Amino acid sequence: MSQTSKENKITLALFYCQNIPESGKQDRQSLEEEYGKSIRLFPIPCSGRLEPLHLLRALEEFADVAYVITCPEGECRYFDGNLRAKKRVQRTREIIESIGLEGERIGIVMNKNSKSLARQAHEIMENITHLRPSPVLSPHRAQQEKGEKRDNC
Amino acid sequence: MASKYIIDTQAVPNRFEVLTQSGIIAWEEGCLKCPVCVKKQCVYGVYDNRDLDIRQMIDSLDNQCMNCLRCVQGCPKELIHKSINPEYEALGDSHWTPYVIAKSWYQAETGKIPVSGAGYSGPFSGPGFDSMWTDMSEIVRPTRDGIHGREYISTGIHLGKTPRHLTFTDSGDLDSDPSFLVDIPLPIILRIPPFGSLGKNTIKGWALAAKKLGTFLALPYEMIDEEIIAFKECLIPSISPAQPYGDDGLGGVRLIEVLWGKNWKAITRQITETHPSAMTAIRLPLVGGIKETVLSLVNSGVSIISLEGTSNGRLVDDNSVFMRDTIRSIHLALVEHGIRDEVTLLVGGGLSMAEHVAKAIICGADGVVIDLPILIALECRMCRRCTKELPCPVEIDQAASSWVASRTINLLGAWHNQILEIMGAMGIRDVRRLRGEAGRAMFFEDLDRNTFGSLGEVQEGYELE
Repeated sequence: MSQTSKENKITLALFYCQNIPESGKQDRQSLEEEYGKSIRLFPIPCSGRLEPLHLLRALEEFADVAYVITCPEGECRYFDGNLRAKKRVQRTREIIESIGLEGERIGIVMNKNSKSLARQAHEIMENITHLRPSPVLSPHRAQQEKGEKRDNC
Repeated sequence: MASKYIIDTQAVPNRFEVLTQSGIIAWEEGCLKCPVCVKKQCVYGVYDNRDLDIRQMIDSLDNQCMNCLRCVQGCPKELIHKSINPEYEALGDSHWTPYVIAKSWYQAETGKIPVSGAGYSGPFSGPGFDSMWTDMSEIVRPTRDGIHGREYISTGIHLGKTPRHLTFTDSGDLDSDPSFLVDIPLPIILRIPPFGSLGKNTIKGWALAAKKLGTFLALPYEMIDEEIIAFKECLIPSISPAQPYGDDGLGGVRLIEVLWGKNWKAITRQITETHPSAMTAIRLPLVGGIKETVLSLVNSGVSIISLEGTSNGRLVDDNSVFMRDTIRSIHLALVEHGIRDEVTLLVGGGLSMAEHVAKAIICGADGVVIDLPILIALECRMCRRCTKELPCPVEIDQAASSWVASRTINLLGAWHNQILEIMGAMGIRDVRRLRGEAGRAMFFEDLDRNTFGSLGEVQEGYELE
């Protein structure tokens, strides 16, 4: 885990399709051992099962960032579950951007090279290091930061 | 006749959403907006009251769905699917299967016997206790008013040595030493599981359950504190020879267990001196050549022996051997030596269902000791995260002691009813009569050999056509 992510205490809600490689119970526990409370893993039968509500509620309740890992395009067991997930993630991004949150807080990874769950999780963790803790979860802190900025001006 | 032993159960809701075997995948995109949607026709109304459990991200659809598949079959655009839930599949291991865990949750929640309905679709025979069938010939003559009816079926056992005969003096007084016996109304003793995210309330809850059930809770000596010692009449402190033991506040305890070790004799002697009114049990790991050790222990006067297999029901030193046959051989050896009634044999490890209790007793145990089932009763998912110091997904340590006690009582209540069902169907009215009744059971290996043995064996490299 990168140092920045540790300092920021970013929590990632990671939804993933059960058909992605090396995503069994042991792999999941190894990831949890590595990242501790910074990661919450939710295996789902198909990424098409995911709805905007899942992502939004995760951001609302405990996560700073919510990501979905799907099967590669054209390889969904339910034909187009991953395509539906992609559209839903885009729609959810629009929603959070409209309320002033960074769109990057929600993301999707189409597992093109059939990477393992652990490898994907590491890459996602690297990608989100620049994000600050979500103002949704700590509004008081966000307001303080805003005030400090204004004072500096 | 003693008053009837009935375990009062009442529904105790889960603290977390239950993991179901399958989940619904319902897509909105491409919906034809039919005037009469299959979702609206759902007889259970699962699509009407949807909710999302935030802690586990579980959709209420999955928990409320009764698997009638009407919506899956009825949607003209085939937008609704059913899929296996990966979290359910990941439960437990090959011995503690997701099915066993889910059914244990159900029993702990409702206190009722799980009924699968629509017949049995499982395999004909399996490993361990699954290749053993009980003779239910009396099922054709069920009691007129059920297992709790007028006919009394006793599940009580006594712990300790039963004298072969009594001798009296000329004046009619008892000549022989009165032997210690402890009666418990259930052939099941609880034990603290080898792992689990346990809090003080968890231990207290189990002790409370043991007290209400009239049985015992075995726990390591060092776990006993001021709060737990209040339940001393239903506790079995386990003393390890490796750790120093001093007499501190165990007065009033009826049974003390000593773990097998080099100086078990010295500790047993010390306990007998400091607690003359308490009985002593020896706990042994169930290993291959244990029979001789058991015989020598019984000959040296040990009256209670607790044999502990692995958590998957096998011998500690050989994972390929099930404890079933070893229990049988120990029982038969004791019978052959004419000392069977001089010892109470308790068996533990890998007993995951009520039928295992009856089957272990048929193999020759007097009673059983269960550990992991009382943890599963508290919604444990057997993920063993606690052994890696990861947070418990169902926060068992946060549960109130009353909830822990009620869930445990519910599970044991359901098991008790199942033991009564088995005994009623076998025509046995006392669980002590069930002990070693291997003649009232059938073993797959024996049947297979007797039926097909004369046909010869299939040679390696050949296949039957």
